[in-house]
Amino acid sequence: MSVLSTHYNDLLQNTSDELTGNDFPWLGSLRQRSKDSLLVSGLPSLRDEEWRYTNISAIEKNEFKLAPRNLAVDQSLLSKALLNHCHHLVFIDGYYRDELSSSQDLPEGVTVVPLSAAEKGEQETQFKSLINASFNDEAEHGFTHLNTALFTDGVLVCIPENTVVEKPIQVVCLASSNSPLAVSNYRNLILAKAGSKATVIESYYGSQDMCYLTNVVTEVVVETNANLSHTRLQAESNQAFHMGGVYSTLEKSAMFSQSNFTFGGLISRAEIHADLGIESSCILDGLFLGQDKQHLDHHTRLNHKQPHAVSQELYKGVMADQSTGVFQGRIVVAEDAQKTDATMNNRNLLLSERANIDSKPQLEIYADDVKCAHGVTIGQLDETAIFYLRSRGADEKMAKNMLTFAFANEMVERISLEPLRHKVMDELLKQFPQTDILKEWL
Amino acid sequence: MLKIKNLHVKVEGKEILKGINLDINPGEVHAIMGPNGSGKSTLSYILAGRAGYEITEGSVSFHGKDLLEMSVEERAWAGVFLAFQYPVEVPGVSNIYMLKAALNGVRKYNGLDQLDAMDFISMVKEKMRDLDMDEKFLYRAVNEGFSGGEKKRNEILQMSVLAPSLCVLDETDSGLDIDALKIVSEGVNRLRDPSRSFILVTHYQRLLDYIKPDFVHVLAGGEIVKSGGPELALELEAKGYSWVDDNKES
Repeated sequence: MSVLSTHYNDLLQNTSDELTGNDFPWLGSLRQRSKDSLLVSGLPSLRDEEWRYTNISAIEKNEFKLAPRNLAVDQSLLSKALLNHCHHLVFIDGYYRDELSSSQDLPEGVTVVPLSAAEKGEQETQFKSLINASFNDEAEHGFTHLNTALFTDGVLVCIPENTVVEKPIQVVCLASSNSPLAVSNYRNLILAKAGSKATVIESYYGSQDMCYLTNVVTEVVVETNANLSHTRLQAESNQAFHMGGVYSTLEKSAMFSQSNFTFGGLISRAEIHADLGIESSCILDGLFLGQDKQHLDHHTRLNHKQPHAVSQELYKGVMADQSTGVFQGRIVVAEDAQKTDATMNNRNLLLSERANIDSKPQLEIYADDVKCAHGVTIGQLDETAIFYLRSRGADEKMAKNMLTFAFANEMVERISLEPLRHKVMDELLKQFPQTDILKEWL
Repeated sequence: MLKIKNLHVKVEGKEILKGINLDINPGEVHAIMGPNGSGKSTLSYILAGRAGYEITEGSVSFHGKDLLEMSVEERAWAGVFLAFQYPVEVPGVSNIYMLKAALNGVRKYNGLDQLDAMDFISMVKEKMRDLDMDEKFLYRAVNEGFSGGEKKRNEILQMSVLAPSLCVLDETDSGLDIDALKIVSEGVNRLRDPSRSFILVTHYQRLLDYIKPDFVHVLAGGEIVKSGGPELALELEAKGYSWVDDNKES
C-alpha cells in the first residue's frame, strides 16, 4: 500500500471551499469516497502493472496547490489555443472564465455549460448521471480519485436526441504564468443522446517552463446512432505534468472518433477507454512527439462487450533526444462479442540513440468468431530515403525533418476539421520545421 | 568538368572498381556500358556520394573541386544529379515539396533568391507537360505507387527542374516500354546543352538509339576495357560483352 505524502493529504483536507458543486449533497459524498480511496491507495507507483513504465514520483514530490481565481490571462497563449469557428469554453488554472468564453447560437436544448454553472434540475440530473458512469474499476487509480475529490470545474455537454451541433465545441484549459505549482483538476462530462452529432475538442496549453499539474477526467456517453468526434490537443509547458483520461461508453450503433495529440509536458499520460456496445464503431488516433527528457505515456483500452462492433486504432510516436514513449494498447473481446472487428497499430520512430519507447499491445479474446489484428513497429528513418532527398539538394537536417514530418503528418491529415488540422500542424512544424513551403503542399 | 583518375573502390572489402580513368568535358555525352556486376552502378553512386563505399585510391574532381570531399547535398548543389535506377519511394513527402526543397537548396548555394511559389509551380508544370506527366503527380508522395515508367519520368522531371551540369543516368532505360523510353529520351535530349554533360549508364544499346552519345566506354570487371565512339555500342550489341573480354585494350 502506498502512503500519500503529507502534502497531498493537506491538499485533500483543506480545499473544499474552492471546489464546484458544493450545493449538490450527492457530489459531496462522491468526493468523500474518492478522498477515502486516495488516502488508502495513494498515487500509482511502478509496482502497479498499468504504471510500470511511468514513474510519477516527480509529481508526488512537488507541492502542488490550487491556484487563486481570476489571475491575469496570457493573451498570446489564449490566441494560440483558440480555434476559429468554434464555441469556446475557457478555463484558466482550473476555473471557468466567462468573459473569455462564447457559446452563442447553440441549437435549442443543447447544454454546454461549465460544471460550476450547472443548475439544479435537469443539468444537475445530467451531471449526476454522467459522473463516474463511464468508469469501471480498472479505470480508477490515484489520479482519477484525486480528480473526483478535487475538480474545480470542467464542462457539461449534453446534445439532445437527433440534434446536430455543427460548430465544434472547444474546451480550452490554460495554465497561467502567474501560478507556479498550480494543480488544475478538470472534469468533463459529455452526453450525445440518440441520433445526435457533435464535435468536442479539448485543448491544453501552458506557458513555457512553468511547472504545474493538469489532471483531467473526461467521461463520454454516446447513445444509439449518435456520432461524437472528440479530440485532445495537449500542448502543455515543457516542465508541466499532464494526466488525462477519456472514459467512454458506446451504445448500439454509436460512432465515436477519438484523436489524441501529445506535444507538451515533462511527464504526460493519456488513458483512452471505450466500452463498445452492439454494432458500434470506435476510431482511436494518436500522435505523440517527444523531445528533450519528455516522458509521454498512452494507454488505450477497447472493451468489445457486444457483437458486431468495429474498432480501429492507430497511434504514432516520434521520440527524439532522451525522450521516452509508452504505448500500452489493450483490446478485450468478451465472450458475447462475436463478429468483433478490431485492429490496433502502433508505429514509432526513434530519432536518437538515447530515445526510448515501450510498446505493449495486448489482445484478450474470449469470443471465437472475431477478426482482431495488431501490429507494432519501432524504427529509424529510412537511410535510402535520406540519401535520395540529399542527392536532390535537401541538406541532411532538412531531409530528416521532411521524413519525420511526413511520418507524423499522416495523423494530422486525418483531421477533417481544418482549423484544428492547422493548429496541430503548427505544433508539428514547431518541432520539425519545413522551410519555404506552402501548407497545402505538405 | 569531371575528371576521374585511377579510382579504386571497395565494397565490404571487395574491390569493385579497379582504376577508373574518365575525362568528361562540358556538353559531352558519355555512355558507360557493361555487363551486370561490372561496377556501373557503383560508379554512379560514388559520384552521388552514397555511403558504404571505400575509396582506396584515386580522385574525382568536378569543376576543379574535389568531389569526394563534398557531402551528398553539396554535390547536388554544385550540379551533380543522379537519376536512380530504382527511384526511392518517399511516403508522405509530396513531389512538389521535394522539388521546391531541392531547388531552394541549389539556388541558395549558387547565391540566387528563392523562386516565388507561383513562378515555381508554373515552371514545374511546363516541364511536366513536356514529359507528358499529369499535374496530379505534383501532389502525390514522391514515387509512391508510381509505375516503373512514371518513376523514371519523375527522375527526368527533377533533373529538368534542378538543371544540373552533370547528369548521371543509371540504367534509366530499364523497365521502360518503348513509348516511355521515347518520352524519357526526348526529355534528356531537351536538356542537352553545351555546358551540361551526361553519363549514361546502361546495359543495352537501345537507349543510345534515342540519346546519341559522343563517347562509349565499356566497363567490365571494374575497369574501362574499351572506349570509342557511338559505333562501339553497335559493335557490342552485335557481338556481345564476351567480345570485349577477348579484345581488351592493353
